[in-house]
Amino acid sequence: MYKTKVRGVLVEGNKSYADITKDIVAPIENRPPKWWIYAFSISIAAMLWGAWAFYITITEGIGTWGLNNSVAWGWGIVNFVWWIGIGHAGTAFSIFLLIVRQKWRTSINRAAEAMTVVAVLCAGLFPLIHMGRIWMAKFIIPYPTTRELWVNFNSPLFWDVVAISTYLMASATFWYIGMIPDFATIRDKTISKTKKAIYGFLSFGWVGSARGWLRFEALAMILGGLTAPLVISVHSIVSMDFATSVMPGWHTTVFPPYFVIGAIFSGFGMVLTLMIIIRKFYKYQAYVTDKHLNAIAKILIFISLIMGTAYSTEIFIAWYSGSEYEFYTFFNNRITGDYMIGFYGMVICNALIPQLFWFKKIRKNITIVFIISLFINLGMWFERYVIVITSLSKDYLPSNWSSYSPTVVEVGVYVGTLGLFVCGVLLFFKYIPMIAISEVKGVLKPTSND
Amino acid sequence: MISTDKNNNIFGVFDEEDIFLEAMKKIKSAGIKIKNVFTPYPIHEVFHEMGLKTRMPYAAFIYGVFGISLTYAFLYWTSVIDIPIVIGGKPNNTLSFIIILFVMTINVGIVLSLGTFFIRQKLGPGKEAVVVHNDITDDKFVIVIEKPEDMSKEETNRINSVLFENGAIETGEKENIENI
Repeated sequence: MYKTKVRGVLVEGNKSYADITKDIVAPIENRPPKWWIYAFSISIAAMLWGAWAFYITITEGIGTWGLNNSVAWGWGIVNFVWWIGIGHAGTAFSIFLLIVRQKWRTSINRAAEAMTVVAVLCAGLFPLIHMGRIWMAKFIIPYPTTRELWVNFNSPLFWDVVAISTYLMASATFWYIGMIPDFATIRDKTISKTKKAIYGFLSFGWVGSARGWLRFEALAMILGGLTAPLVISVHSIVSMDFATSVMPGWHTTVFPPYFVIGAIFSGFGMVLTLMIIIRKFYKYQAYVTDKHLNAIAKILIFISLIMGTAYSTEIFIAWYSGSEYEFYTFFNNRITGDYMIGFYGMVICNALIPQLFWFKKIRKNITIVFIISLFINLGMWFERYVIVITSLSKDYLPSNWSSYSPTVVEVGVYVGTLGLFVCGVLLFFKYIPMIAISEVKGVLKPTSND
Repeated sequence: MISTDKNNNIFGVFDEEDIFLEAMKKIKSAGIKIKNVFTPYPIHEVFHEMGLKTRMPYAAFIYGVFGISLTYAFLYWTSVIDIPIVIGGKPNNTLSFIIILFVMTINVGIVLSLGTFFIRQKLGPGKEAVVVHNDITDDKFVIVIEKPEDMSKEETNRINSVLFENGAIETGEKENIENI
C-alpha cells in the first residue's frame, strides 16, 4: 500500500488492481440506479424551463429581463461569474496538485475536471444570451469584417472571449487525455459489443506501452504547467470586466486576486459537494476517504480566511480612501440598505461558516461537511450578486438610481444552466469512470510512480 | 525506429509489479532485447530500465515561443499596420497586448503539444488497438520480445524459459505489436 507521510494510505480496503477496475467500471456496466433516473428527469425539466427562457430572450429580447438603464448587468453576469468560479476549481485542484506532486489528487481529479468542463459550458451561455441578438456573436471573433474593423484587442470583454475559450479547450483536453487509458480499460473489460466499439473508438488505440506512458505523463505535465497560469489569468480577466470600469465598488486593484481566490473557493466547495455525493451513492469510501475530505476542508479554511481578508480590505479601503462614492457603496448600499441580505449572506457563508472546519469533529461529520459545502456555493453566488447589483444600482448620480429584481425569464435561464450542469454531471457518473483508474492504480503500491 | 512491417513477438505476462520489474532486469542481463512493455499504469522504473526519454517538454517550449510570436505579429498587423485606430491618444502598439499574448502562448502550446503526442504515439480516434493481453489495461504487466523469422527454435525456447523462470504466469506469441 502506498503511504504518504502526511495522509497514510491513499486507497483503503486492501484493493487489488482488478478490484479497482471492477469498482470504477461498475456504474458504466450496470443499469443506472433509481435516484439517477429521478435526478436526470429533474435536470431535463430544469433544462426545459431554461430552453423556454432562452427562446423568450432570443425572440423577444433582453427587455424580458429585469434589467434597466442603471442595472444593465443582472443575473446574467452574476451567474456567468458564479459558473466560471465553479469551473475554476476542477482545473485548479487537478493541475496545482499535479504540479506539486500531491498523490491524493488521484481519487478526485477526474470528477473535478468533469465539473469544470460542464460549469464552463454553462458559464459560456450567459455572455452569449446577454447579447440578446445571439446571431451577432460572430462579431466578437477577430476577422477582417466588411466593416473594415477589427475587434478591440484592448477590451477586457474581448480578453474574456480569448481566455474562456482557451480555458474551456485546455480543461476539456486535460480531462480527455486523462480518460484515454481508462477508456482502453473499459474497451478491454466490457462484455457489451456496443460499449467495446464506442470506448474502443474513444480510447484512440491506447495499449499502455512504456513509451506511451512516458509521453502521456510528459503531456500531462505540459498541459498542467501551461494551464496553471491560465487558471490565474482567466478569473483575473473576468475581474477586469469590473475593475477597469469607474463604478464605485468595482474600481479596485484588489479585484484580480480577490476574484481568483474566490473562484478557487467556490470550485473547491463544489468539488466537496460532488465528491460527497459520489462517495455516498457509488460507495466509493475506499477511494474518496475521510482523509481526502479532511484535506479539502482544511484547504477551505485557509481560502475562507483569505476571502474574509478580501472583504475586510474592501471595506477598510472604502473608508480609508476618503472617496465618498466608495464609502456610500459599501456602507450604505451593502452593509446597510436594500441589498444587505446579500452582503451578510456572502460574509456569513464564505468567511464565517467555513471556519467551523477548524473543529475536527465537524470535519469528520460528512453530513455537516456536505451542508457547509452547499453554504459555500450559496455564499459565492451572493458575493457575485452583491458586486454586480449594488454598484450598478446606485452610482454617482442619484437620478440614475434604480433597483433590480430578476424576472421569471432570468430565473429560467439560471435554472436551465443548473439543469445542464446536473445533467452533464449525471451523464459523467454513468458513462465515464468517475475516478481515474490508471492514476489510482499508480498510487496503490510504494514502488509506483516514485 | 518505429517498425510498421509485419512482425512476430514473444510475450510474457506478469501479475505482480515487483516481479515484473525484477524480470525486466534479469531478461536484459540474459542478453535478450526487450522490444516493448505494457503496464496498466505508468511506472518510472520501467522508463529507466528501458532507457526511455522524451523531448516533448522542449517541443512545448518551442511551441510557446512560436505561439507568442505569431500572436504578436497578428496583433501588430491588425492594430498598427492594417487599421491603426487612435483612441484617446493611446498607443496602437500597447502593453495591454500582454494579456492576449499570455493566453495565446498557452493556447498554441497546448494545441501543438497535443498534436505532437498523438502523432508521435500514433494514436487517433478509432485506431484499432493491438492488445497483447486482455488484462494489460487491468492488472497484468507484459514484456514483449521481438521474434524475427530466422530465430531458432532453441532461442525461442530459451526466451520462454527465461520469462517463466523470472515469474511470468503465461507466455505466448502475437503478431504486429508496435514498438511505440
